[in-house]
Amino acid sequence: MSAPRDTYLPEALREKLIHDPRVAEQDLQVQVQEHRVMLGGNVASPQLKQRITEVAKELLPDYEVVNEITVVSAAEPDGEEPVL
Amino acid sequence: MIRIAAVGDLHYGVGSQDILRPSLQHLPDRADLLLLAGDLTRCGGPDEVKVLADDLRGVPIPVVAVLGNHDYHAGREAEVRRVLEGAQVRVLEGEATTFDFDGVRLGIAGTKGFGGGFRGAHGSDFGEPEMKAFVGHTKMLSDRLERALAGVEADLRIALLHYSPIEATLEGERLEIYPFLGSYLLAEAVDNAGADLVFHGHAHHGQEKGRTAAGIAVRNVAQPVIRHAYNIYTLDANRQALPAAAGGIGS
Repeated sequence: MSAPRDTYLPEALREKLIHDPRVAEQDLQVQVQEHRVMLGGNVASPQLKQRITEVAKELLPDYEVVNEITVVSAAEPDGEEPVL
Repeated sequence: MIRIAAVGDLHYGVGSQDILRPSLQHLPDRADLLLLAGDLTRCGGPDEVKVLADDLRGVPIPVVAVLGNHDYHAGREAEVRRVLEGAQVRVLEGEATTFDFDGVRLGIAGTKGFGGGFRGAHGSDFGEPEMKAFVGHTKMLSDRLERALAGVEADLRIALLHYSPIEATLEGERLEIYPFLGSYLLAEAVDNAGADLVFHGHAHHGQEKGRTAAGIAVRNVAQPVIRHAYNIYTLDANRQALPAAAGGIGS
């Protein structure tokens, strides 16, 4: 008896994305279904989003990578909040 | 009225040049100081924090920071701190600093903080040395925060953290990882010492707003949560003084 083939793959990729210094993101969501890797979460730049796709393809070259990670805005806020 | 800009989890790396810089241009017109709630770098490299320091250099308002877990990853946190200090950023770890804005004294006590969990489900420094070290680290930093906050003489006091002191600002994160996102010991320290506002980061999928058990406002300013370069919060020292004066008259 063995675990289904993709059981531990998402964790292997999550670990890779945490420890690869090109990425070092701890808050990405990784799902693997059939031969497709789906990535979610938030990052600060389009370049980092692209690097995450590259790292995923390095680890899982036979998988299609669907990168749905959001690039978070670093724009100025419109207003302010009176807290006190 | 004191205007505070705050953001955490900038995760600067080599190549992050100018992510923040365009939004910093108008900052001096909009805020009296900038607070950075940790995870300033991707992997804690001095080369990474130098990129941020270059973006911050020349910002003509005070900048105060705590480090986050990412800033410790390379084991070079002392160098990270020195690079920031070289750009006139005040870095706090169990320490406090004060500023005077038009006669109103603002005190800020800061610590990275650490995990452990929350009331009813907190880890204990019991058993293996690794578990003792984990929870012991949180206890030590919480004690230092409480002493730093209690010792600061100011009209308004802020606690600046990386890890969360409360669960409310973690809503949206998976419950299983709450012990790695914060500790109630930080909230207990703040409630014991007293403060007007608490900032933290670290919880990228959490909520911005919450309160400690004593009612102190908590703001999770992790950049993926606030979705701006920073948010701005205003504090009015006179508004704080009013309820105390009213209570004094009535008693």
